[in-house]
Amino acid sequence: MNTGMNFELNAPASIAEVVEQLANKTGARVFSGGTDLVPNLRRRIGTPPVLVSTDGVAEMKSVDLQGDHLVIGAAMPLAQLLESDKLAGFPALLQAIAEVAGPGLREAATIGGNLCQDTRCLFYNQSHWWRKSNGFCLKLDGDTCHVAPNGEHCFAAYCGDVAPALLVLGAEVRIAAQGKDRWVSLNSIYEDDGRSHLLLKPGELLVSIRIPLKAAQWRSGYLKSRLRKSVDFPLAGVAVALRLDNRGISHLRIAVTGTNSRPLLFEDFSVVPLSITDDLALSAIDREIGQSIKPMRTTNLPGLYRRKMVAVLGRRLIEGLTAPTGKNGV
Amino acid sequence: MASIINLKVNGKTQEHLIPDAMLLVDFLRDRLGLTGTKQGCDGGECGACTVLVDGRQRLSCVTLAKSVAGKTVETIESIETKGRLSRLQAAFHEKLGTQCGFCTPGMIMAAESLLRKNPAPERDEIKEALSGNLCRCTGYVKIIESVEAAILTGEQA
Amino acid sequence: MNKPLKTNGVGARTPLIDGVEKVRGAAKYTADLAIDGAYVGRILRSPYSHAEIINVDTSRAEALEGVIAVVTGKDSPIPYGIVPIAQNEYPMAQEKVRYRGEPIAAVAAVDAATAEAALELIELTVRELPGYYTARESRAPDAVQIHENKPGNLERDVHNSFGDVEDGFRQSDLVVEDEFHCEEVTHAHMEPHAAIAEYHPERDHLTFHSVTQVPYYVHLMLAQCMQMPQSRIRVIKPFVGGGFGARTETLNFELICGILARAARGRVRMVLTREETFLTHRGRPAADVRLKLGLSKTGKIMAVKAEMDQYGGAYGGYGIVTILYAGALLNALYDIPAVHYDGYRVYTNTPPCGAMRGHGTVDIRHAFDTILNRMARELGLDPLEVRRINLMQTPTETPNGLMVTSYGLPEALDWVEKASGWKERYGKLPKGRGLGIGCSHFVSGAAKPVQWTGQPDAVVNLKLDFDGGITILTGAAEIGQGSSTIVAQVVAEVLGLDYSRLRVIASDSAITPRDMGSYSSRVTYMVGNATLHAAEKLKARLIRAAATALETEPENIECCGETYRVIDSQDKGIPFDKVVQTALIDHGAITERGTFTVPKEFQGGKHRGGAVGSTMGFSYAAQVVEVVVDEDTGEITVEKVWVAHDCGYALNPLSVEGQVQGAIWMGMGQAMMEATRFHKGLPLHANFIDYSFPTMMDSPDIEVFIVESMDPNGPFGAKEASEGGLAGFLPALAEAVSDAIGVEINDMPITPDKVLDALTRKRRQAQRKRVSA
Repeated sequence: MNTGMNFELNAPASIAEVVEQLANKTGARVFSGGTDLVPNLRRRIGTPPVLVSTDGVAEMKSVDLQGDHLVIGAAMPLAQLLESDKLAGFPALLQAIAEVAGPGLREAATIGGNLCQDTRCLFYNQSHWWRKSNGFCLKLDGDTCHVAPNGEHCFAAYCGDVAPALLVLGAEVRIAAQGKDRWVSLNSIYEDDGRSHLLLKPGELLVSIRIPLKAAQWRSGYLKSRLRKSVDFPLAGVAVALRLDNRGISHLRIAVTGTNSRPLLFEDFSVVPLSITDDLALSAIDREIGQSIKPMRTTNLPGLYRRKMVAVLGRRLIEGLTAPTGKNGV
Repeated sequence: MASIINLKVNGKTQEHLIPDAMLLVDFLRDRLGLTGTKQGCDGGECGACTVLVDGRQRLSCVTLAKSVAGKTVETIESIETKGRLSRLQAAFHEKLGTQCGFCTPGMIMAAESLLRKNPAPERDEIKEALSGNLCRCTGYVKIIESVEAAILTGEQA
Repeated sequence: MNKPLKTNGVGARTPLIDGVEKVRGAAKYTADLAIDGAYVGRILRSPYSHAEIINVDTSRAEALEGVIAVVTGKDSPIPYGIVPIAQNEYPMAQEKVRYRGEPIAAVAAVDAATAEAALELIELTVRELPGYYTARESRAPDAVQIHENKPGNLERDVHNSFGDVEDGFRQSDLVVEDEFHCEEVTHAHMEPHAAIAEYHPERDHLTFHSVTQVPYYVHLMLAQCMQMPQSRIRVIKPFVGGGFGARTETLNFELICGILARAARGRVRMVLTREETFLTHRGRPAADVRLKLGLSKTGKIMAVKAEMDQYGGAYGGYGIVTILYAGALLNALYDIPAVHYDGYRVYTNTPPCGAMRGHGTVDIRHAFDTILNRMARELGLDPLEVRRINLMQTPTETPNGLMVTSYGLPEALDWVEKASGWKERYGKLPKGRGLGIGCSHFVSGAAKPVQWTGQPDAVVNLKLDFDGGITILTGAAEIGQGSSTIVAQVVAEVLGLDYSRLRVIASDSAITPRDMGSYSSRVTYMVGNATLHAAEKLKARLIRAAATALETEPENIECCGETYRVIDSQDKGIPFDKVVQTALIDHGAITERGTFTVPKEFQGGKHRGGAVGSTMGFSYAAQVVEVVVDEDTGEITVEKVWVAHDCGYALNPLSVEGQVQGAIWMGMGQAMMEATRFHKGLPLHANFIDYSFPTMMDSPDIEVFIVESMDPNGPFGAKEASEGGLAGFLPALAEAVSDAIGVEINDMPITPDKVLDALTRKRRQAQRKRVSA
């Protein structure tokens, strides 16, 4: 009964074959879990002729210690990651994964798919009839942003939960393409443009994620604001990782999701190191983040509320992580 | 684009020529006549279409049928044994875990998935595991009681 | 209080008689029915909020290979609607479209892809008109009329006064007036809309399956809009995945499916998307309420004055009834000497609103009970105690002519007070935690049906034949609320039989007697009574047969279920099967008919619209809600609800609990998160992500206490159980939030951003006070 979708689906067994197909089949897109992609395709958001699945690539479905890193295959389903004992040293990551959507979706959704999920907006995640009736929008098929009609910018929000956790843990991602294979910082694959928030080029595949094992020495956590305690995307999500010394916080990283078209990482705070009781310094951090985030009317609670939540959740995480029992996160 | 897929559904091997873009829910309902699996939303929002793939809960309305080729799929129709209700089915019936019944197959399959992993979950774990399955009739109270009753039945058995 | 546990008949905790099919996945809903050879029906929907239709060109669509039929407004020139005097909606738009999503044309094709492609080929030429999305916009002096005969875009205004309201305010020690806005909500039943229409050209006959709550209305409207004799239509209701009022009215897609099937000369299957199900709507309208309440210093209600605007959407639908309900049911909960009500039902360019659980009563009850709670506090009184002060003396007739013959609110208050630890805990919990109370009520079926025919309100047939099984034939639509179980319980009780002898056939117009269907909680009361009547007649007949067999007089016979014997005899009597065989001699298969008709004296006041709100039995509910509020995030967690519901007598306590829990929880959704919202008439939340209703993790334990006031006219004393508790949740939540963090929030839903805004306002007020002091 479901119409509107027509494509070729392939599931090669190796990374080489996946990137080969991505390079050579016109309009081919990566399919990894499909929990974000399929609802969009059902709404005729995109009509790719070819989907190349990563589900058959064994190498992308493992979690391994490799040297100084924990390497997670991008095709690992989120639910299985929650059951892995290898993530125990990274509470922010576990907490973020546990907050993604609902349990049924986490069974299919993969970590790579979560990192690469499309940006969201009330004016975009709608049926074809709806978008057409509304004259389409800047993000797809149209020339007006209904969130900020006078601008030239698309404000669709990036709503992945996992990216901020990985950002504060200093994660890198392995990007493969035909004849190329490189590690780059996760932070470098995003840009703050709702239309094209991923800097991956056509033909490129996010193969795996690696977290430096020394990140386990950081205290970390993730908190999410949402209307319902399950299913919902973040209204705002905040991850914090920090290190303590005898004077207070010696290192601090904060990442935010749900407010902009990309997850935002903040790490060079002028006020760090700081004492944990230094409310002025903490306020300066709030302000610094507040200047960068731009929650718009892309979801069902107002931007101002989501802005406030970034500060509240950030404070809450810092308080929890610096409390004497905070070693393993909040 | 169409492909031949082989998979096991409710214990039976199936070989079908299907469009690559066919959803698992449509394959189950339209091809195999397994209409116990329901579609309640336009994709991934309500859990009514929950089935088990290799023993774990999956939303069949955002799953491409071809992507489960070679795997084992179980639907609500497979849960009873020789006409006897499973302990979850019996509990949902006796404790009124079902009203209109539309969310029920998905709800029972999600609970089945939980109990296979964790035979004695606490109430909070039940709520978490079933939180992606929406119900509009019950307010969930009697659904939770049904799952708890099924767990007790299992422990006594 | 402890009754002996029953296992059979009324009063027993009875699993649903159709429950096994549901848990097995064997229950067939409309979309599950065999579809071999059915054409796929799809609807072209208006992309405009408000426009004159100049032309609908279907020629290219008709020419597409695989298209079987294309229909438009030209094929549906007869209006329809739930209220006979206010039918202004057409299956497909005529000269104008009035909301985005309104059906304009429809296609039947060999498959879904072809049907979709054909829709794209239909060319629409229109002249756009301004769209209005709020009551204020629609009622502006220069607004274009949405309907020609409705100046000011007012569908109906209601002005009712009972008692001397101004005098009541003069005699009050405290008068408070406030404004409330409640956002529009919708039913969101889990099963998307679906219909299957099968037309036989040779017989000129239509067989129709649909998701309806009222197959009878569908039957009438199909006949009316297709101009077919009713005798050539058969309407069957399969399993239905919830309704909550959405499926009370006949819906446009049902009529379109019938029209398409005739045009296609075959079978058409129409399964709507979730988005289309949202667009079909008929939910609870957005409302502005201004309410003024006067209390004596002891807390006695002296007078109330309420004004309400409902943003009704683009067509009449139930609108007149909804706006009347809101005013009428200000009465009959508490003792109020003087009530004034001004109601305005306004047309807007949004999907039409309709009846939703707690029809008409919910938003105005929120305003009333919220003000009552605050005034009690201001007077230094306990809000729960204030309700006791204002209890009615029953039986009574309210100033607006409503009869109250059973009234379990006093006992309901006693129980929630005790169970929640109200006296010890209200107003005394640590900051961030609070308790709140609300009361509400609802009808057990409208005393006067919308469609007047002179027929009984309910007819039930019991068929008994050679096999000794009893088939209960009822038109009452089982939609998950357990109506088929109730009728089986009543028969089992009267005849003393096991369920193995009973089967229920519900809602097939070829077999079952006409019934008004499942709305306004009428089934238990009316169909229950008709079933009771039929069962007693059948029992009398069987007793006569047993008397013949035992060669005595009927008055000497007692029925012991599986045996009939002479009263007080040592004789073991004769078995049921033998009684049946005797009864069938010279007669053959027996059909006993039971009926129920609401007496005139219950049909409400004499004033215009006075029948709306009238019923034979009001249910009553009191509830206490406990919340925890996070002052940093504004998040509210409902930890527990205690609710006592007076359902007269619980025919099926298991089902009563389930219905009450569902109603309270649906109230919670409206109070905490649900809202449809539109962007220039396009629904922003037409999916289950953005139209969020609570998940299991958001949902509290709801402890139900059943109050049994034994209604003098209900079957075995029973009244309704599934609507009365909903409305009380909203004020109870508002009060609990106030108790927790000291802010007053009027507007629904109370989302976290509103909590933070209220806290900010409170801090600013405190600062201003400090500055001025």
